[in-house]
Amino acid sequence: MKKSVLFSMMAIAIAFSMVLSACATATPTAAPAAPAATTAPAAPAATTAPAAPAATTAPAAPASPAATTAPAAPAFTPASLSAPDCTYGGELKSIVALDAETVQFTLCQPDVAFPAKIAFASNEILPKALLDSTGGDSNKISQAPVGTGPYILKEWVRGDHMTLTANPNYWGTPPAVKTLVLKWATEPAGRLLQLQSGDADGIDNVGPDDIATVQKDSTLKLYPRVVDNVMYLGMNNTVKPFDNESVRQAFAMAINKAQIVKEFYPAGSTVADEFVPSTLEPGYTPGLADWPYDPAKAKAMLTAAKFDFSQTFPLSFRDADRSYISQQPKVAQEIQAELASIGVKVKLDQQESATLLQNSAAGKLTFFILGWGEDYPDATDWYDYHFNEQHKDFGTPYPDIVAAYKIGTSGTDNATRQKAYDTVNQLIHQHVPLIPVAHSSSSVAMKASIGNVIIGPYNENFEDMTTSSGQLVFVQNAEPISLYFADETDGETERACRLLYTPLLDYQWGGVGSQPALATSYDKSADLTQYTFHLRPGVKFSDGSVLTANDVVASFAAQWDAKNPDHKGNKGVYEYFTTLFTQFLNAPKS
Amino acid sequence: MLQFITRRLLLLFPVLIGILMITFAISHLVQGDPCIVALGEKATPQACAAFRERFGLNQSIPVQFLRYIENVAHGDLGDSIQFERPVTDLIAERLPMTIELTIGAMLFSTTFGILFGIISALKRNTIIDTLTMLGANIGVSMPVFWLGLLLAYLFALVLKNTPFYIPPSGRLSPFVSLVPLATNWHLTNLTGIPKFLISFMSNSAILNSILTGNFALFKNAIWHLILPCIAVGTIPMATIARMTRSSLLDVLGQDYIRTARAKGLYNRKVITKHALRNALIPIVTVIGIETGALLSGAVLTETIFALPGVGTAMLNGILARDYPVIQGFTVVVALIFVLANLIVDVSYAFLDPRIRLE
Repeated sequence: MKKSVLFSMMAIAIAFSMVLSACATATPTAAPAAPAATTAPAAPAATTAPAAPAATTAPAAPASPAATTAPAAPAFTPASLSAPDCTYGGELKSIVALDAETVQFTLCQPDVAFPAKIAFASNEILPKALLDSTGGDSNKISQAPVGTGPYILKEWVRGDHMTLTANPNYWGTPPAVKTLVLKWATEPAGRLLQLQSGDADGIDNVGPDDIATVQKDSTLKLYPRVVDNVMYLGMNNTVKPFDNESVRQAFAMAINKAQIVKEFYPAGSTVADEFVPSTLEPGYTPGLADWPYDPAKAKAMLTAAKFDFSQTFPLSFRDADRSYISQQPKVAQEIQAELASIGVKVKLDQQESATLLQNSAAGKLTFFILGWGEDYPDATDWYDYHFNEQHKDFGTPYPDIVAAYKIGTSGTDNATRQKAYDTVNQLIHQHVPLIPVAHSSSSVAMKASIGNVIIGPYNENFEDMTTSSGQLVFVQNAEPISLYFADETDGETERACRLLYTPLLDYQWGGVGSQPALATSYDKSADLTQYTFHLRPGVKFSDGSVLTANDVVASFAAQWDAKNPDHKGNKGVYEYFTTLFTQFLNAPKS
Repeated sequence: MLQFITRRLLLLFPVLIGILMITFAISHLVQGDPCIVALGEKATPQACAAFRERFGLNQSIPVQFLRYIENVAHGDLGDSIQFERPVTDLIAERLPMTIELTIGAMLFSTTFGILFGIISALKRNTIIDTLTMLGANIGVSMPVFWLGLLLAYLFALVLKNTPFYIPPSGRLSPFVSLVPLATNWHLTNLTGIPKFLISFMSNSAILNSILTGNFALFKNAIWHLILPCIAVGTIPMATIARMTRSSLLDVLGQDYIRTARAKGLYNRKVITKHALRNALIPIVTVIGIETGALLSGAVLTETIFALPGVGTAMLNGILARDYPVIQGFTVVVALIFVLANLIVDVSYAFLDPRIRLE
């Protein structure tokens, strides 16, 4: 007995010492983090060095008059950040604060879509002081976000809900909804239950099966969103049978798009007669005839093209819900059945989501279901990605399409651009690198008693909605990842950040055009390589500090310059920044 | 007994290493590039390369595993890829919800399970017995997600404007808040285990309400727990009821029960002191096993009722290929399961003096 007690005591002592030693060594392991921080100070040199030219042009002017008339006012020292040249591969050449209320962007190449990009939520403006004090760390920023949006964060109960209250320093009309609670539930049925039970005032992404329920309920109202996506069937022109244009055209006539939209898409969705939705302007070509659904003619064309009806080829897809499709396996089965009706044999090839994307990007797929959700409302977001020379999804790029879309990209006026995109659309129709099938709509459901509801592809006007209590509870799909959207890509973070921060421009309620936000106006150079934004005077951040052009420079510099001490974010990849502006300054060599 | 407990606790280490190895292997076997999942479909190869480097995903799997084990040995479960926050922080936020749910469901299932089992055994072959066991059979066959939705529909929609209304989801009502204990108690500078404990207590709505004397919060937290506890506790309740009935019937047929009755003891005393105590051993074993069922059921229940617990965290982690989260939470769940079974084993000795733990 004594022996066993002794054994127990020893065992406990060993376990205890293991715990102690583990705890003791934990501290030194944290230490290596410090050297990383010590390397960071090198970065400001990189940012300030290019800034020198700007600093020589601007600093004295605003400072001296201020010193004589109002001694208490701090002198404004304009900040700037410039790339040495444009060889680094990005779109931005410099960002310069001309004075406290003017900021100028110089670009490496003309960009007609620059204002549309600037209005995207990832270009939110944060106070320079906050970025500097947090080092641009998403977690720290998320604990106490400071912005110029209609709301401030009251509390974030992780995993459960987020409460926002009206920002007393908001520059716009004070929010009608004083308290806005964002909740989340993954299951559409769960979200609907919360709405029906009265726990929530609105829900995002009504499940396809729940739309009829919402429409039948007089206490609820459904708000379909404007479509900004497309589902298409891609075909690889380097693989038989799709190396034959006639075969691709015949396939375009063999797919019953209307049937697919009717069976598998929510209310508000439309048949895609072109690659881009009809709301995209410039981009969409009105009146361009689509391939009609005509299986008999499709079969005749295939026969004429000596199509081998005995062959079986794969239709690749994935079981993943996206904004442009939610029932991929069923849609794939429908397509398989439609093609079988004209004697074409298709084998369903379900792949894991990321694997399918990798295979598609490598040009390894033959025939596949894929789609696109718009990042920012401009044709460049659609055509430039899908039809550039490096894009292998559809096999060998089509040179005439490449040439035509580039005219649209570099066009300086809408008429020129539309003309170029008309050509692109005509060529897509002719070559059929893809068969556009559907533009999917998603819906928001709100209590019918809530007034002035506007639901757009990029925003919802929560602050202007009218409720009897001045409070509103909205349930979305998931929890925001952080409150610094610059380094996130999820829609939930985007929504929360849009309520806390404001970019220079904003998207119109319910639409895709941009409107003044922190900038009341902007000037552009004739060659579209320089944009000068005039800030709204007297705007204050939620902490009471005054917005200046330096905050704009700092907000962009934190994303743009990979060596900036504030370039930390969450994952440190700033995916949307590179999507919008191509490349970081001082990007690490890969 | 001390030796037994110590040995079982020490056995936790190899068990933990085994769990870590299996979880690590499984989570890395799941198809799908975490970069694409985290950064979206349009992630550029450059962005993915930076992402992999940042999270050490560009290293070989064995190297990643060894580094992970090294970190775990230092009490560091790593940082969430999705949230870029320590997994221990996430555990401190999410674990209280699941523990509250599990304890609530366990109380519900054992109380009603044993009660129904006793009634059924004492009223053997009567209509009460038939009805009780029919209910148990239905209960054990009911999928958690279906029962959850049914309960939510009944109590939140059908009984919407009645006093019996119960909210269909969420931890608390929208305008009811937890009190941030660390801030209130001026303990924001804590680190390590004290920080974990404060965060744990702060995020446990019930503990939080008790510590701050906030009765409204307590009431609201319990109110939101009712439906999830019934949903997740119904299957264990049915199992316990059936086991109690069968075990009690077996004991009631023993000679010593006949002897107890023959010496004139009241029936209630015979049942509670002699029969039930002996019948409890298999019941306790079932309770231990059902703890695992409750923990796994929590994944579905928390998803249906939108509760911020371990289940939803793990589900999100799996969907986001957030390896540290998957591994960290699996270890925690495994630990709870092992400890629950240890408690069950120890309880045998209290229930039956003939059993010695060696």
